[in-house]
Amino acid sequence: MTSGSNRPDDGLGERLRELDAPDTLGNGELMDRMFADVKAKCDKSDRTVPGILRSRSTMARRLIVLGVFAVLAVVGWFAFPLVGDQARTIQWTTSLVTFSILLLIAMFMVTRPVHLPALPQWQSVCLICIALGATALAAFWPHPAAQAAANGEAGGVMVGACMGVGLLLGVPVYALLRLVDRGNAFGSLVAAAAAGLAGNFVLKAHCTVPGTSHELLGHASVAVLFVVGLGLVHRFVPAK
Amino acid sequence: MASSSPKSKPSDEELMDAYVDGDEAAFRALFERYAPILLRLTRRHLRNEELAEEIVQQTFFRLHGARNDFRRGSKLRPWVMTIAMNLVREHWRRTKRRKMTNLEVETQAAPEADFMPIELRQRSELLHVALEKLPASQREVVELHWFQERPYAEVARIVGTSEGAVRVRAHRAYATLKQLLVLEIRGDE
Repeated sequence: MTSGSNRPDDGLGERLRELDAPDTLGNGELMDRMFADVKAKCDKSDRTVPGILRSRSTMARRLIVLGVFAVLAVVGWFAFPLVGDQARTIQWTTSLVTFSILLLIAMFMVTRPVHLPALPQWQSVCLICIALGATALAAFWPHPAAQAAANGEAGGVMVGACMGVGLLLGVPVYALLRLVDRGNAFGSLVAAAAAGLAGNFVLKAHCTVPGTSHELLGHASVAVLFVVGLGLVHRFVPAK
Repeated sequence: MASSSPKSKPSDEELMDAYVDGDEAAFRALFERYAPILLRLTRRHLRNEELAEEIVQQTFFRLHGARNDFRRGSKLRPWVMTIAMNLVREHWRRTKRRKMTNLEVETQAAPEADFMPIELRQRSELLHVALEKLPASQREVVELHWFQERPYAEVARIVGTSEGAVRVRAHRAYATLKQLLVLEIRGDE
C-alpha cells in the first residue's frame, strides 16, 4: 500500500477494490495466447532493419542519426559548390544555424525513449510550426541584389528543380528518423518537418538562384509539402 | 509487488537484467507478472477486451524494443506503467473515443462482470461510470495511485508532471468520486 498519502476513506476504497478484483477464469490460456503473439511479433521485428535500429539504446540511435547527418552534410558541403562569397551573409549563416538547431531538436523528439512520459502534443505542433515559419522567414532573406542581377530571371524556371531536389534530399532524412522512431506520438510529422528542414538547409547552402519568390516557392514549399503530405497520410491512413 | 519477493524469486529488475542479457525465459516471467496487472489497467481505461489485450501486447513489444535503454539499478515498474499509460493516451488521442464512452458504458459490460453477483455488478458498473466521468488526467492518477498503489512521486514521473500537480489531481478525483457515489446512494434510497 502507498504510505503517507491521502488515499480515499474506506467507503470509496472498498468500492475501488471491487473494481480491481482479479479475474481468474481462463487467465492462463489467455496469457499463453497473448505471450505467444508478443513473442512472435518481437522475433519478427528483430529480423527487420527498423526492428534492429529501434532496439538499439537511445544513445546509440541518436549517434547513428547524428553520424548519418554529419556524413551527408560533409559530403554535400564539399562535393557541391556553395553559394558565392557575396551571398554568405550573416542572414545566410543564421538561417543555416537555425535549420540545424531545429533539425537537432526534431531528432531528439523523434528518438525520445518510450519509457519516458510522452511529450505533450503542443510541443510537437509548436516545433512543426516553427520549422515551417523558419523556412518561410529564410526566404525573406534572399541573396544580395548584386548576385540577383548576375543570375537574371532564372528564378522562376528553377523553382521546380529546387523543389524536386529539396524533396529528394528530405526523403532519406525522413526515412532515417522513421527507422529509429519507436512509435512516439506525432513522430511522423516531426520527422516530416525535419525532412523539410534538411531539404531547406541544402538548398540554402547551395542554391544560387536569388529572389524571395523563388525561395518561397522552391525552398519553403519543400517543408510545407512534407508536413502537409504526411499529415494527410497520417490523417486518412489508419495507424496500425 | 515482485520486487519484495522471497529469496528464490528474482525481482523484476533482476529478470529485466537477465532479459537484456538474452535470457528469453526472463521475458516470459516478466510477462506473467505484469500482463495481468496491465490487463486490468487497460480494461478499466478502455472497457474493450480486445483493445485492452492489444495495448498490453503493444506494451511488451515496446518494452522489448526499449530493453537496451534499461539501466541496472533502475526500477522496472515505472517503465512498464509509463509505456502502458503512453499507449492508452495515444489511443484516446487517435480515436477520440472519449466522446463515445458514455454510449459504450451502456452497451458494454465490465470485463469481470460475468463472475460477480448482480448487486456487486451494478455497483461495479456505477463506479466504472463514475470513473469514466473523470477527466483523463485525473483518471490516470487514480489508476496509478489507487489501483497500482504507486506513491505520488512515482505517479508524477510516470505521467510527466510535478508531484504537487498529481496530488491536486488525485484530491479532485477522489472528491468527485465520493460525490458521485453519494448521489448514487441517495438515488438508491
